[in-house]
Amino acid sequence: MDMFLYMDLNTMLHRLDPRTKLLLMLLSFALGVMYKNIVVLLAVLLIVLMYGAMGHILSNLKRIRVVLIMITLFSVVIWSIAESGETRFLIFSLEGVLYGIMIAIKTNLMIVAGMIFLSTTKIEEIAEGLVKLKVPYRGAFAFSTAIRLVPMIVATSYTIIQAQKSRGLDLESGNLFEKIKKYVPLMIPTLVSVIRGTNVFSMALESKGFGYSNTRTNFLKIKMSGTDYLMLIIGLVIVAAASYLKFDPAAYNTLITLFPWGDFA
Amino acid sequence: MSSEKAISEKAIVVKGLSFIYKGEDTTPAVKELELSVDRGEFVVIMGPSGAGKSTLANSLNGLIPGFMKGKYSGSVLINGTEVKGTPVSRMANEIGLVFQDFEAQLFSTNVNLEVAFGPENFGVPRDEIIERIGSVLKTVKLEGFEDRQPATLSGGQKQRLAIGSVLATYPDIICMDEPTTDLDPVGKLGIFTIAKELHRSKRFTLVIIEHETEEALHADRVIVMKDGEILKQGKPLDVLRDVRFTDEVGIMSLQVPKYFKELLDCDNCDLPLKPDDGYEFFTQQGLKIDEAKYKELLARDRERENSYGDAVIKVENLTHVYPNGNKAVDGISLNIREREFIAILGHNGSGKTTLVKHFNALLAPTEGNITVCGKNSREHSIFEIGKDIGYVFQNPDHQIFADTVYDEIAFSPKIRGCSEEEVKVRVSEALEAVEMSGYEESDPFSLSKGERQRVAVASVLSARPKIIVLDEPTTGLDYKEQKRMMELIKKLNSSGHTIVMITHTMWVVAEYAHRVAAVKDGRVMIDGTTREVFAREKELYDSYLKTPHIVSLSNMLEHTVLSIDEMKHCTGGLE
Repeated sequence: MDMFLYMDLNTMLHRLDPRTKLLLMLLSFALGVMYKNIVVLLAVLLIVLMYGAMGHILSNLKRIRVVLIMITLFSVVIWSIAESGETRFLIFSLEGVLYGIMIAIKTNLMIVAGMIFLSTTKIEEIAEGLVKLKVPYRGAFAFSTAIRLVPMIVATSYTIIQAQKSRGLDLESGNLFEKIKKYVPLMIPTLVSVIRGTNVFSMALESKGFGYSNTRTNFLKIKMSGTDYLMLIIGLVIVAAASYLKFDPAAYNTLITLFPWGDFA
Repeated sequence: MSSEKAISEKAIVVKGLSFIYKGEDTTPAVKELELSVDRGEFVVIMGPSGAGKSTLANSLNGLIPGFMKGKYSGSVLINGTEVKGTPVSRMANEIGLVFQDFEAQLFSTNVNLEVAFGPENFGVPRDEIIERIGSVLKTVKLEGFEDRQPATLSGGQKQRLAIGSVLATYPDIICMDEPTTDLDPVGKLGIFTIAKELHRSKRFTLVIIEHETEEALHADRVIVMKDGEILKQGKPLDVLRDVRFTDEVGIMSLQVPKYFKELLDCDNCDLPLKPDDGYEFFTQQGLKIDEAKYKELLARDRERENSYGDAVIKVENLTHVYPNGNKAVDGISLNIREREFIAILGHNGSGKTTLVKHFNALLAPTEGNITVCGKNSREHSIFEIGKDIGYVFQNPDHQIFADTVYDEIAFSPKIRGCSEEEVKVRVSEALEAVEMSGYEESDPFSLSKGERQRVAVASVLSARPKIIVLDEPTTGLDYKEQKRMMELIKKLNSSGHTIVMITHTMWVVAEYAHRVAAVKDGRVMIDGTTREVFAREKELYDSYLKTPHIVSLSNMLEHTVLSIDEMKHCTGGLE
């Protein structure tokens, strides 16, 4: 089973320098954190989706659709109950529903931005990009290894779930406490397998000369091109525009008057 | 560095090497080992589990004592460099180490980057790395795969890539630690072809640790180890002809000399080693196949076939398409009858595991139906179907979790609501079946691989299933453990269990399975009794399946026998 998120295509987005993509991702995070406004967040989400569409990798979102939907659902249900508000029906409040939607968009925005980054950037490019940003190679490699290990752990735990289900483990039934107990037969083999796997992994690394010297060649060539600078400028302009909207009282008031229901700042 | 290499003639010199792993107080993994390997030599190291083979391999590039700690004495010189005290990463320039577990040693996004990793570490200029990738991929026959993700390659291709990624640092010694264990016959063949080619180029010194006796014949020298010591070494012909010795050590004896030795009961005669030599010897000695005796075998087969019950697994027109669009099983129909013992063969990725995972409802058919003991897998859960069918996964470590063997085996009956007494009865019954009574309180993680495999079987047996599915039950076990595992499965079969077994090990199939189904590209290509199928040697070879030597010999004599015992039974013309 293929668990890697990276989609091997050759689009403009894939050809961008990893540093550009990293920065654009951080900018979208910043926008997500900065705003508590449905309209603005929705606009940012749309821009991020358009950006992802340029890389033809939005189909990758299908793989995490359950996560995205669950976040939306939970957020809306919980906030609609927890938030106080005037317009209530039963235990739900309308303000709460809107607030929940806002939080859901915010969270999903960041997940989607992260997903686009991982779908268009090779792990080696991430490491290389970090090195170019003056992160030491060992640190960059450790970070990229962490990303690499996730699919390995998922694949192993998938096999283990199948093995234990075959022996009669039934994860669905029982109360919360019983359910937690049922995860023991899954956790222990997973830990054992992951520890064994990483052990071989590190032996293989050393056996291929990892850490031999500090001057390392890079097979991948990454270079900032005109497109990179253009994309960065577009990104910065969007953030600048958004900041203006946030910090100029007149502009912000106009936004609130237009969409009075969408703001929670 | 190059001057050093010129000075030392020997590629590897091991002097008085002893090593005790940290945490094990007394038993050394290797004892006072003496070994020297010439430049350009091809050495195969064999021996049962626990012989110290991997310890030796890991000492060659400094993983011992650099990475794995313990009490180290003696010395290892590689191309004249003392290994102890030299960083492993520095040794990578001299000696490349390939591990058995190919999943864990590949970590790059594509094949190019995987090969480039080593030279990158050594600061090789980029243009030269590109050159090296080209030449390495040519050597390991992966040209055209440059941009593929390693995860999408087949098992054999992955292991070849692992070899390539090690070759790229241009070491002149390559050491492979059981590189073919997890591979299908095609994959195995690929690795040995590469080994032979590397050897032919004279530039490389090769050290391969291997279980397969038949493949060791190509080496310059065979070294047999046991309990941390070298028992015997010499030309493969001389070492492997000594059937009494190989039997004693517990590595698989070559079938042809073993057959003749047992038949003629001679100790020092010049026995043939391979099937074609065996054929010549057979006719020279004036031996022939006794037709009446051979008919007895066929009659026994028929009798066994008639004793089967009704079909317990019915596969009707099964197709399975994975979410990523990969069609793994393509319209398979198959009936398995009660008390049958069927082996499912096929290369890595042929769809055999996907097929078998349908039997206990781990996977749902995309099209078609599976009925197990009258229950349609679409209408019943794994839990319900699991009462009739037990599934032993390939790696016992994917299911062992408890602190004691007892709890491990009690898991299944407990979860199915058996009473305390009932659980006790079932655990002791299961332990007895796998010949591990008395191990109740042992910690399963401290057992050997063979023992853990048997605990895994017991933990499935305790649910008292009618059908047992085993996914490669002998992988990673040495010959004695394999034999023991198979005798156990045979016993379960004769006590009434239906057995479905996935395997790559052909002699296991020949000696134990009643029926063989070979899967290729999601379809059943060959299906029949083992004797019928193994008679079609040419066809099997085209699907990259190799019959064991004794079967090949009998096929040359225009009959098909499946084991040495059968062959002895049918041999006539003795004075």
